[in-house]
Amino acid sequence: MVEYAVKAVENGGTAVGIRCKDGVVLAVEKIITSKLLKPGANKRIATVDRHVGIVSAGLVPDGRHFVSRARDEASSWRSTYKGPIPTSAIANRLGGYVQAYTLYSSVRPFGVTAIVGGWDTEAELPVDGQVGNGPKSGSGGKVEGAKAGGPGLYMIEPSGLYWGYYGAATGKGRQAAKAELEKLDLSSGNLSLADGVKEAARIIYVAHEDSKDKEFELEMTWISSVDGPTKGRHEEVPKEILEEAEKAAKRALEGDDEEEEDKGEGEQMEE
Amino acid sequence: MAINFKDGVILGADSRTTTGAYIANRVTDKLTQVHDTIWCCRSGSAADTQAVADIVSYHLNMYGVTNAEAPTTQVAASLFQELCYENKDALSAGIILAGWDARHGGQVFSIPLGGSLHKQPFAIGGSGSTYIYGYTDAHWREQMTEEEGIDFVRSALQEAIKWDGSSGGVIRLVVLTKAGAVRHLYLPDNGYTGPGVTN
Amino acid sequence: MPGFDFTNYNRNAALHAKGVPLPKATSTGTTIVGCIYDKGVVIAADTRATSGPIVADKNCEKLHYIAPKIWCAGAGTAADTEFTTALISSNVELHSLSTGRDPRVITCMTMLKQHLFRYQGHIGAYLVVAGVDPTGTGLYTVHAHGSTDKLPYVTMGSGSLAAMSVFESTWQPDLDRQGAIDICAEAIKAGIFNDLGSGSNVDVCVIEKDQPTQLLRNYMKPNDRPQKERNYRFPRGTTAYLDQRVISKEDMKKYVTIETLSGDDKITTGDSMEVDT
Repeated sequence: MVEYAVKAVENGGTAVGIRCKDGVVLAVEKIITSKLLKPGANKRIATVDRHVGIVSAGLVPDGRHFVSRARDEASSWRSTYKGPIPTSAIANRLGGYVQAYTLYSSVRPFGVTAIVGGWDTEAELPVDGQVGNGPKSGSGGKVEGAKAGGPGLYMIEPSGLYWGYYGAATGKGRQAAKAELEKLDLSSGNLSLADGVKEAARIIYVAHEDSKDKEFELEMTWISSVDGPTKGRHEEVPKEILEEAEKAAKRALEGDDEEEEDKGEGEQMEE
Repeated sequence: MAINFKDGVILGADSRTTTGAYIANRVTDKLTQVHDTIWCCRSGSAADTQAVADIVSYHLNMYGVTNAEAPTTQVAASLFQELCYENKDALSAGIILAGWDARHGGQVFSIPLGGSLHKQPFAIGGSGSTYIYGYTDAHWREQMTEEEGIDFVRSALQEAIKWDGSSGGVIRLVVLTKAGAVRHLYLPDNGYTGPGVTN
Repeated sequence: MPGFDFTNYNRNAALHAKGVPLPKATSTGTTIVGCIYDKGVVIAADTRATSGPIVADKNCEKLHYIAPKIWCAGAGTAADTEFTTALISSNVELHSLSTGRDPRVITCMTMLKQHLFRYQGHIGAYLVVAGVDPTGTGLYTVHAHGSTDKLPYVTMGSGSLAAMSVFESTWQPDLDRQGAIDICAEAIKAGIFNDLGSGSNVDVCVIEKDQPTQLLRNYMKPNDRPQKERNYRFPRGTTAYLDQRVISKEDMKKYVTIETLSGDDKITTGDSMEVDT
């Protein structure tokens, strides 16, 4: 049964996620199935908690139910632990949830592969509802340089299998997208969020090449570090930055010679 | 009681358990471990606080294995707070929680009767605490050394034992730092001066 | 009307409002103790069961079996200690069978405390749990509300104060088997003689590693009833009489009828009952 679900995913619009050093980008290719659909409406990337976003490829209603479950998990975590759910934990719980749908004859597996992106805050958070702040000079005995928080990117398949990724791709154009992601050397942790946004846009455009006949819309969200542009929140990439990234993506597709100029422009946008 | 000091936290308690006027246990251990470096001081009903601590201990252990990462003191605080608040009508539990973790260092939380949660530089609780509000307020300082911290807690508890009839027995301490948990014991036989470290 | 019937509840509430006291459960004013020694642990109990001011049983058993090497001494409501220990004994055995290991004292203590805590003190069982297991010797007290203590020597019940005074004045850290038995028996005797709720005999249970558990029933009988010094029976013929008449069996038949019933017959019928009334 899982095999059929995977088939459904393979025909969905391409979705990618990139884990950058200072944030995470999620992008999806939204095929326009009708000219009557309002552009920019019918979002496919959802916010699950302030700091977590999910994009999925495959059956859209399954994706919505999946997101609903993710929101329940995030809120349940908040009510017991009085703080934000770590990205790894929500991926783990959703993996378990999806897996359970492969076990029973009364239900069918999820027809989606979902990419979960999040930023676990590096700041020290109070317990929700706590009163007071402890000593004025702060807590004693911290281990200096102990790194905490950071970006998280996971992909969950219909079987319930999930892994953590530097760059994840699913949907129809995943092969091309993966090939492009592999060129980025994401594991070295040098790619900035601003560049990540441009790469994500370009990869969606590259992945769309094979099905050029159909029109599509690019939807993109990002989550930066606490001192970055989104202050640790999952948000839509602002219109100007999105358009700039799309412009650069189209240029990149036309020829490599103009690439240098794009870089220069992109750098300025960062400020 | 529990305090913050330079390198972490120190918990301290007397060892008296009473049933009415009778001392049911004169060497009680009211400092209860709920995770490696997260401990609590129990006051109020022994049955209630033991039950709550057991439940929290279970959840923290589960948290540790499912998330492959030790729980923070905040996690323990929220679990205690949730249990104490949701069951406030059935419980009489005054809990002081103190823990150390690499990211946040030492932290002290107080969860009094109604189930509210207070982060404090130091916390005192139980019947004897009323006698040492003045003492602790006057003598606690930011960034004490371990030795100063131990002296402060021991002296405060000694004072509480002196004035409060329901407090007494030995003084037990636990010091929580990067080095882990270290127990101390101080006996009334020699005016609470020793033997000191016991593990 | 289906559902619960509250008439008895209402009656009891009305009686209670009029000042009628609630019936008392058989409660054991009791002395129970326990003490560890170098190789094992000893528990002991008195044997008096009381119901209010009445001694209901002069030689009852307050030492309960949990597992071959875990025993419990019970104080409080007799029925509650009996059934709680029986329940936990059963669960401990099932647990031992499913894990394939010998049961542990701390497991037993935890099961007891969780059970008693769930009932918020309404199960009036005050217990001393003792035994040896693969981790060593264990000795705990469990109170009805679910709190527990771990100590080298413990006492419980109404005679616990008297018994504790014995431990506090004579206990020492390096007791041997006989030393532990002696001090426990002495503590129980302090309860028997100084506490009204405790009395009769001393029961002792000795649990030791690599040794069969010994239940020393009536280890001491400090209240044995001695032979009465005098006999108050009257000799035959003490009472004078004026006349004597002997009625033989044959004569008796004049006054009564004897009927033999066969097994198949219905002995009573509705009709015959009505004739009587």
